[in-house]
Amino acid sequence: MLLLPILLPIFGGVFVFREREEKTRNRLTLGLTVMTAVAAGILCALPEQSLRLMTIEGSLYLALQSDSLGKFFMVLISGIWLPVAVFAEPYLRHGGKGQQFQGFYTMTMGMLMGLALADNFVTLYMFFELMTLLTAPLVLHGGTPAARRAGLKYLGYSVFGAGMALAGYFFLSHFLTDQSFTGGGALNLPLAAAHRPLLLIVFLVMTIGFGAKAGMMPMQAWLPTAHPVAPAPASAVLSGVITKGGVLAIIRVTYYLFGAEFLRGSWAQYALIALALCTVFTGSMLALKEKSLKKRLAYSTVSQVSYVLFGLLLLSPGGVRGALLQMTFHALAKDTLFLAAGAIIVATNFTHVDQLAGIGKRMPRTMVCFSGAALSIIGIPPMSGFISKWYLASAALNFEVRALGYLGVAMLILSALMTAGYLLPIVVRGFFPGRDVLVERREVGPRMTAPMLVMSIAVLVLGLFPNGLQAWISTLLPQIF
Amino acid sequence: MQWLQALPILISVVLGIGLTILQPGERKVRNAYIMGSVMLTAGLSFAAIIAAGMADTAPACTLVRFSSEFSISLRIDGCSMVYGAIVSALWPLITLYSLDYMSHEGHESRFFGFWIASFGVVLGIAFAEDFLTLYLFYELLTLVTLPLVMHFMDEKARYAGRKYVVYSLAGAAFAFIGIVFLLRYGTTLDFTYGGVLDLAKAAGNETTLWAVFVLTFFGFGVKAAIFPFGAWLPDASVAPTPVSALLHAVAVVKAGAFAVLRLIYFGFGTDFLRGSWAQYAVMTAAILTIIYGAARALRTPHLKRRLAFSTVSNLSYILFSLTLMTPAGLVGALAHMVYHAVVKITMFCCAGSIIQKSGREYIYEFEGLGRRMPVVFGTFTVSAFALIGVPPLGGFVGKWMICTAAVLSEDPWAYFGIGALILSTLLTTLYMMTIFVRAWFPVGTVDHEALSKIHDPGPAMTIPLMVLAAAGIVLALFSAPLIEFLQAVSLNTL
Repeated sequence: MLLLPILLPIFGGVFVFREREEKTRNRLTLGLTVMTAVAAGILCALPEQSLRLMTIEGSLYLALQSDSLGKFFMVLISGIWLPVAVFAEPYLRHGGKGQQFQGFYTMTMGMLMGLALADNFVTLYMFFELMTLLTAPLVLHGGTPAARRAGLKYLGYSVFGAGMALAGYFFLSHFLTDQSFTGGGALNLPLAAAHRPLLLIVFLVMTIGFGAKAGMMPMQAWLPTAHPVAPAPASAVLSGVITKGGVLAIIRVTYYLFGAEFLRGSWAQYALIALALCTVFTGSMLALKEKSLKKRLAYSTVSQVSYVLFGLLLLSPGGVRGALLQMTFHALAKDTLFLAAGAIIVATNFTHVDQLAGIGKRMPRTMVCFSGAALSIIGIPPMSGFISKWYLASAALNFEVRALGYLGVAMLILSALMTAGYLLPIVVRGFFPGRDVLVERREVGPRMTAPMLVMSIAVLVLGLFPNGLQAWISTLLPQIF
Repeated sequence: MQWLQALPILISVVLGIGLTILQPGERKVRNAYIMGSVMLTAGLSFAAIIAAGMADTAPACTLVRFSSEFSISLRIDGCSMVYGAIVSALWPLITLYSLDYMSHEGHESRFFGFWIASFGVVLGIAFAEDFLTLYLFYELLTLVTLPLVMHFMDEKARYAGRKYVVYSLAGAAFAFIGIVFLLRYGTTLDFTYGGVLDLAKAAGNETTLWAVFVLTFFGFGVKAAIFPFGAWLPDASVAPTPVSALLHAVAVVKAGAFAVLRLIYFGFGTDFLRGSWAQYAVMTAAILTIIYGAARALRTPHLKRRLAFSTVSNLSYILFSLTLMTPAGLVGALAHMVYHAVVKITMFCCAGSIIQKSGREYIYEFEGLGRRMPVVFGTFTVSAFALIGVPPLGGFVGKWMICTAAVLSEDPWAYFGIGALILSTLLTTLYMMTIFVRAWFPVGTVDHEALSKIHDPGPAMTIPLMVLAAAGIVLALFSAPLIEFLQAVSLNTL
């Protein structure tokens, strides 16, 4: 059962590659995505399971399990993957080479499921690398020299980041009582206490390594390069889900290997918080100055995902709650934004922010979705982004080191202002371009607007009624600490 | 019974010489003769290995005895089994591949004569019982593989051949110094786990012995292409592809690594060397070579040269692991030896097929080739993933064992090696991805007309490719028994 959501899209993806008929292929891709989502759903409903795949030597084995964090992540993946798959069909008709894209798209879903279900570091690393390698073709899709450069840059950053994490694990594995992920940490505490400085360096290296995928400084540079050249559905999932793969890996390392208790109050924690805050600030700053729409959104991702990391690194239940909420809401909202950017490209070929005056009159449905998502990213109630930012800020205020906590809140507010500065003008000028701009209505078809609508409604609804999600996270938190 | 160990070596040398004398004119007869000899040698070699594995203490087989100290003798121990088995498993496969590949190159009788003879010589290195025998076969290997490198006999091939001979013979000369010192300060020349040095005699002369060790290491390291003595290997890639595949990815270069293994673990001994400046000197050289090889590979557009530089880098993984001077390091080295052999040989065979079927040797000419040669590029891609080290494929297991050994050695200097390995992973990803990304995802306009003439080679080439790729995967997936075996070897409890 554990293998089903992983193997289904991987083997199904092979058939997607071979299917030349477009209609059948679309149906196949959607069917596989739905089936995987259903399999994941069933897995979530079942009690926790575990499975040992193979053992090579000592701590070198592959194993899967479905703990509550994995389940949470699987639901998130399914929730994003489906609408984007629907959106991708008409988009690819516009861009061509659908076979290749949909094949890799389907297979990547399996890798993400594997990432969520991994029970130990080796398995996690395996799916992490495979995810990188399978998403690289999505970035390379355009077939231009720029796309190739971006693809290689993406690969380089991700592989090196994962390599850093792996190097850290070689050291870490000797201090673990249990190689599989254990809520609360698996460190052999008396032994670890004797080697605390070494382990803190290892933690720093591993987090920065996985942070490359999550767009944390100093290895964030691949994001703004890869997103503009990738097709819109690819940028959407890269930004919405793949970066969260890095976040998941960091959660696993921080809470399931090291354990919050061991790390709390260490210099490594403070250094990483400072890095995350720097990223929040710099990302917003760069987004503000950027004129290319997709690149601006990419910088926005850099900034927003570091909110998640900030929350995680506070090492308190409140921080994790805020982080998980932010992860979900950002995934939904940012995917809507990227899909909207894709729809704009399909309808008008505009990629630049300055070209977008009056776009709200041309493409009202798209831009309404865009506005909703933008408000959520900024963090304006009643959009869901507000809730996550609220929890992050309150967790930061309760942080042991007052100065760092206040600095965090200040950064969050500053960044929110800047976010408003780089997203709102698009909305405002889109709907109120002034008198001189002539516009004709050129909305994209329902196959493209529906996924955006669904996701932006989800952004709103989750903001209005966050209790269900909250309750779920509340049951999840005790298992992390 | 113990003569079984000598049988594959002698028979293949005799059969190899026989082929050059007989020069059968009929292609079918010749091919049958070649395949028959190689299969016979491989079969005998496996029989010898299994017989040695069954016996509690494998008896030595003395071929020639010069004096009480000097003899040419063979004995199969754990390390011999690993190296001998790699070579014996791969040789028949590549022979099958090269029968087809070499059918248009001319002078097949001469080529395959030396080809068969070098099989025996490599087995001699694997099965040698003492340093003198090792040295003898080591020198023989240089001489017997020289005609293979120079096969085309054009300007480039002769230059490469000269360079190969000069480097190898000079390296062996350095190694000879080490053997003399081992004789002087040791108790015996036979390989003894833990070293042969007589500590009473060595006392007071440690510095000299360490210096000699460094010399000998670099001497044997020449064949393993350690920086700065690895320049012959990329140049030697002008040889016919089967030679590059088998000799320059497996047999010859790993003979160098194998000799270093004997030197460290069975000659000077790890207790004597560990913690000395000599250890750090050789370890640093290995670490530098890891990065140097990978960086040069990234900057080399010629496919076979790129693979050769990749071999330089990967061989130094093995050397680095050996220089850790712990049993775990020995496990890592042997594991990577196995996995790298299978993976790299597959890649060279792919490279050969690409060159033969499309005539393109530079990777910037590969745009769009993937769809025309799916089998070749498919196996190439899988092998590339293994080389990069995507778990659970082979390269990852090797790397894992090496890094674990490095951590366990608790030597801060070895931690740099882990860093180098990670950096090399990054470089490997880049220099491998740029090859097959071009092939699968072409950029710009593709000349479809030129491409349409290119297609996968025939089954004589694709079957070995697929078998090798599959073997690599299976070997990695079920590597638990292999690793267990290697651990037993490393503790000499076999």
